Amino acid sequence: MIKLTIDGNEIEVQEGTTVLEAAEAAGLYVPTLCHHPQLTPYGGCRLCMVEVEGARTLQPSCTLPATNGMVVKTNTQKVLDARKFVLNLIFSERNHFCMYCQVSDGDCELQNRAYDEGMTHWDLQPNWQPFEVDASHPFMVLDNNRCILCRRCVRACGELVGNYTLGFEERGADSMLVADYNVPLGESSCISCGTCVQICPTGAIIDRQSAYQGKETEVDHHIGVCVECSVGCQRDVLTRDNRLIRIEGVWEAPLNHGLLCDKGRFLPLEDDRPRLLTPLVRKDGSLKAAIWDDAISAIAEGLGKGEGLAAIASTRLPIEDLALFKSVFADSLKAELVTTLEEGKATASLAKMAEKHGQSFESNLETLKDTDVVLSLELDLVDDHQVAGFFVKRQLTDGTKLIVADGKGNKLAEKASLKLDLEAGNEGSFLLKLHEAIESETGDEGFVKAAKILKAAVKPVIVYGQDFAANADDKAVETLVEISESLNASLVGVKGNANSMAASQLGLESPIKANGYKSAFIMLGDEEPSQKLVKQLEDVPFVVALSAYGSQLTGNADVVLPVTMWAEQSGTYLNMDGRLQKAVQALEVPEGVLTSRETLLKISEALSIEPETDWKTSITLRTPTVEIKEA
Amino acid sequence: MSKPKVASDWLCGCAGCHMSLLDIDERILQVVELVDLRATPITDLKEPDEDGVTVGILEGGINNTYNEEVAKKMRERCKILVALGDCAVFGGVPAMRNFFGAEAALQRAYVEAESNDENVKIPSSPELAEMTRVRAVHEVVPVDLFIPGCPPDADVIFYALVELAQGRIPEIKNENLHWH
Repeated sequence: MIKLTIDGNEIEVQEGTTVLEAAEAAGLYVPTLCHHPQLTPYGGCRLCMVEVEGARTLQPSCTLPATNGMVVKTNTQKVLDARKFVLNLIFSERNHFCMYCQVSDGDCELQNRAYDEGMTHWDLQPNWQPFEVDASHPFMVLDNNRCILCRRCVRACGELVGNYTLGFEERGADSMLVADYNVPLGESSCISCGTCVQICPTGAIIDRQSAYQGKETEVDHHIGVCVECSVGCQRDVLTRDNRLIRIEGVWEAPLNHGLLCDKGRFLPLEDDRPRLLTPLVRKDGSLKAAIWDDAISAIAEGLGKGEGLAAIASTRLPIEDLALFKSVFADSLKAELVTTLEEGKATASLAKMAEKHGQSFESNLETLKDTDVVLSLELDLVDDHQVAGFFVKRQLTDGTKLIVADGKGNKLAEKASLKLDLEAGNEGSFLLKLHEAIESETGDEGFVKAAKILKAAVKPVIVYGQDFAANADDKAVETLVEISESLNASLVGVKGNANSMAASQLGLESPIKANGYKSAFIMLGDEEPSQKLVKQLEDVPFVVALSAYGSQLTGNADVVLPVTMWAEQSGTYLNMDGRLQKAVQALEVPEGVLTSRETLLKISEALSIEPETDWKTSITLRTPTVEIKEA
Repeated sequence: MSKPKVASDWLCGCAGCHMSLLDIDERILQVVELVDLRATPITDLKEPDEDGVTVGILEGGINNTYNEEVAKKMRERCKILVALGDCAVFGGVPAMRNFFGAEAALQRAYVEAESNDENVKIPSSPELAEMTRVRAVHEVVPVDLFIPGCPPDADVIFYALVELAQGRIPEIKNENLHWH
């Protein structure tokens, strides 16, 4: 432990703590701009200068390690003068006229720091040099005129996301924030994760969707889990007057630490599918608007006793909805098929393994954040489950090795130290060969190389995707677990949608066959049905669809009920590594619309069914592939 | 003791700060009880008293030789000079033209603007003041008190006037400090 004195307070901290961290831990305030808790200290802006006894000059507290006996002062006149001077220099460098800036009055850290220091004016006026604005990106505008050269965005792009798109060109006052080798951001290697927008302290990178829509003082926050995939990132949905404004990552979230991908941050606000706001019932061949009671009666009549009934739900829905759905259709109506749109492809083979051995065999996502070798099986973490991909990509420059095994185009493979060819359907033989290479160092060159890398690893992780889970047979999964045991490797299965694992725990993972059903009940929520599903249901005589949006499937259905979309409902989600997390309602439910849960209860009532509502027990009836815990 | 004299004028601004001053509504009666309101753009007297005023208030930045003259005269004739609003304090919205130059701004306004016909020309007359870079007031004459805001809130203006009237220099900070 290290003992130091800051502003007269005796403080004890761990070795390696910076003076800034020590001051913050003691509840003292030191202003910062280039510093960000998620990034490596940089010492660029010089706003956090403090006086250290015995030091010749003021010291930047963000990069200064605390040492024994150190005496630090954070608010002497010398320090306060230096702060104001630093702010004056920053304001003088470029165009920081607040009156025509998007982030002015609350959302700008530079302006807030100036307010804190009581700056009523600038001692130095700017040099009036304009720079070009880069508005080539669909979601972001990059404006060097507003940049204070703190390089938070550059560090976030590299250190946190592992994408290394943003960088600086030139030096000193000529420094320009650029993408790749100075190409327009919209044509660069940017993956639109938006971390740079979220981390920018000024208006240098602004979000097009929310620009001028509402400031921090005018918006409401709704913090909950993202429902776009099974990673389970925490996100903050910002609304104003019941309108979606923006989505941000939650910096304090233990899993994603503020990171989101384009699917979680930008794309939900681009949804322009036609919304359904009233029940529809087919009469004389065409769908006509109906009242809820009539639509529910039509469903009760059409489903009858549930013979030949296929019930299919979206894995984007909360567990509460899925458990109720299972209770109504599997337990009460004994439908012929009760499954999800995913059909268990991302989970069934693995869940079977856990059940057979009565033991979980997968590890949590933290293992992927701190590993020296990653073996990826039939999974492209650049396109899917992107935030899990960030965890891997950002370690590759620190010596972590990546082995990618896939049979089709895989963007992650571009960054791999070793690529292995894994044809779909050959998972079993592939893993046997790998296992043999690990055990005896014999076999094809690629396997021997991979085995060498894996055996040399201290904390290897094997991560696999939906394609692997869908293609692998029992033997393949068995071999996978044996490999992980002999390597002492962690296994991470990424699964599918947000509630893919919950559906698996509820046993909703049977395949859908084409037609052949007498009736179908499709609980889509806000999921877009696939063309394949539309075809599979083409000849089913009676189809009920619960959907937030109109689609070809709802157009063909016999009864359509309008339900809530993701932002209008709350509920629980079980992510890929077994964390139970809450999604939080951010928008009011439109008039005439119900949640899928409320709709199911109405239908149960009409069918005189008393469904089970204790989902917590229902999801623990099977041995999970990874331990389930409240997050 | 006689009441302190207050004079004001506007330079390269939009008159919004003076509108915000009027937004103090009936409280202007309290102000008039405390101070002797002299030359302002909204009273008949057009120049600050030759024998001086206590407080001089300037709205707007300085964008030509005429503004310079007004600012210098106000500075000479007042004890405390107040820069009122973002244009007076920083240069404000008119200062956007500094990034392109006065020529480009004239060209855009008098020649290229969509509403102009073919017979347009940039005005030129020896009687017109000469355009300069848009400057904050303190780049031309020393300023004693800065009240930023676009415009500053009526409440902030009222607070500042009452303090000044009673011989104190108001502190513009916390909720009274906004640049916009």
